[in-house]
Amino acid sequence: MSLEISVVALGLIVLLADLWLPAERKRMLGYSAAAALLLLFLNTFTSHCSCSLAEGPDNMTSAGMFIQDGLAVFFKRFFLLAAVLVLVMAVEFSDRIGAGVSEYYSLIVFALAGMLFAASANDFVMLFAAIELITITFYVLTSFQRGRVRSLEAGVKYLILGALSSAFMVYGIALIWGTTGKFNFQELAQVAGKFAANRVFLFGVVFFLVGLGFKIAAFPFQMWTPDVYEGAPTPTTAFLAVGSKATGFVLLLRFLFTAIPDVAMHWNKLLIIVSGITILYGNLCALPQRNLKRILGYSSIAHAGYVLLGVAALTTAGESAVLYYLAGYLFTVLAAFAVIALVMRHLNSEDLAGLAGLNQRSPLLAATLTLAMVSLAGIPPLAGFFGKFLLLKAVIEQGPANHGYYCLAFTALAGVIISLYYYFGVIRAIYWSKETPDLSPIEISKPMKMAVCFCMAGMFYLGLFPGALINYAAQVVKSLK
Amino acid sequence: MDALLNYLFSSNGLFWVFAFMTLACGGLVVANPFSRNPVTSAMFLVLTIISMAGLFVLLHAFFLAAVQVMVYAGAVMVLFLFVIMLLDLQEEERRKVKKLGLLAGLLSIGAIAGIFVKSLMAAQPGRGLPAPVAEGGTIPLGKLLFTNYLLPFEIVSVLLLVAMVGVILLSKKDLK
Repeated sequence: MSLEISVVALGLIVLLADLWLPAERKRMLGYSAAAALLLLFLNTFTSHCSCSLAEGPDNMTSAGMFIQDGLAVFFKRFFLLAAVLVLVMAVEFSDRIGAGVSEYYSLIVFALAGMLFAASANDFVMLFAAIELITITFYVLTSFQRGRVRSLEAGVKYLILGALSSAFMVYGIALIWGTTGKFNFQELAQVAGKFAANRVFLFGVVFFLVGLGFKIAAFPFQMWTPDVYEGAPTPTTAFLAVGSKATGFVLLLRFLFTAIPDVAMHWNKLLIIVSGITILYGNLCALPQRNLKRILGYSSIAHAGYVLLGVAALTTAGESAVLYYLAGYLFTVLAAFAVIALVMRHLNSEDLAGLAGLNQRSPLLAATLTLAMVSLAGIPPLAGFFGKFLLLKAVIEQGPANHGYYCLAFTALAGVIISLYYYFGVIRAIYWSKETPDLSPIEISKPMKMAVCFCMAGMFYLGLFPGALINYAAQVVKSLK
Repeated sequence: MDALLNYLFSSNGLFWVFAFMTLACGGLVVANPFSRNPVTSAMFLVLTIISMAGLFVLLHAFFLAAVQVMVYAGAVMVLFLFVIMLLDLQEEERRKVKKLGLLAGLLSIGAIAGIFVKSLMAAQPGRGLPAPVAEGGTIPLGKLLFTNYLLPFEIVSVLLLVAMVGVILLSKKDLK
């Protein structure tokens, strides 16, 4: 647990350092926080760290609430990396936030702490506390630009719908506890089979899944996504799209496959339907959009659907594909939002027209955004292609058992084809825009350049050499059982 | 007196009274046919919270009941009233409710409630489980909080810090 404690301590230090730092040094504060998190990230790979895989699945503390297995470690690395990149982005964005920049950094770190706890949650109480820490931090992060009406509107929408989903989740937990008397996932797994026919227990499971569905923005709990993504400050949106969504998925995997495996087996139909509709809804609604952040909002709904393919397959191949896809999604989406944060810094809205002439203003950013779109669309040789390939493979392998899986794979392919239109609309806006653009070059700070190049390298690496991560993911999902 | 108390606790009568009060007052908070005044709604919320405290007492969770009254019915409600009075809300205008939306909402709520009640009747929750140990005093609660549930408890403390920072940031007049 030393990792989580260090992250919380880092948040407190950032919060306190603000008191003594002169205003012109605050930029350094964000970079220092990012560097500290990077160190913690690298530290997870050293063998003596408490995060090492060698300690095995029995490594539980605090009355079995906190589990440090392979899955937890995988997602902890994921969240740490995402937070580092988001913090670098936040420093770049700080002039638009205006007041309270250091608090912005520290809230990102606290949200990260919540995600780390959620990755290790092995108990409903722990899970709920961690989720609330994440969600409440995001309410603040979303409405941080309080001078902008859109940001406040996004914050209020997220608050109301988030509170509703929390209510569903906690009601679900109460029903599960009321019928089984268990909070702990392992203990629940032992008795879940007995309750598989108990309708009240199933009601609890459904309500709990509603709460998680809101987190991952799956249909029909996706209404908040486009508005919140558009209104929130860009680094918040990026963290929401990567961190918050991945939290939902790690909890979904743990809940379905560790806590109620006997029940989840019978639920493939529900997962197939939700996944299929989510893919279609996200892709179709993205078509008419002109605002880049809204496009990414709808595309993130579609991608939640793609990731659900792997969950719906209910196999270890599907689970490891989920992990691989999320890793690729991290680099891709963070690259896209980094470009948005840089290019649209001085514009009021993130309209596609703002991208005009980007290839002359900054070839690096134009290339990054193009690659991100190509990867999101799922074209080889980038990370997105291989992720989709693995997910579809996992689904089609299940096809002979249930023909619904073939329909699902077909739906996903249709979704990919639809999505080409709007992803390439973005690329067209960069290179072939007719509007007369302002051609002032865009300055990029060194850390930002490094972050952007790192994201690009990640996309290429995962697309060209997927073997290492696939093996790691396959090894990780063993700890779910 | 003791006999009376014992009778009240052992029978289900009080449960039905408090449950009915909670639901009825909760309904009046959101949709009161007699008054559109926000203060009235807030007062019904107080009643809802107090009847919920009654439910906690029936579960022998005396500490929670007391906290419910002190924190929610006391402190939080005072804040609510402050905000309502500061904003000087007039009687809210009747919003036009779309007929179709209302119908769809009522239908879906009715359907969920119907299925839920039916499954409750069928499942008989709590069957096969040992009778719950009714311990709601401060000592067992504190022991649990600082042993088994220490970690979530500490996470909640971080959460409160975040909420505090957030409220100050979002409400302070001019930040430097």
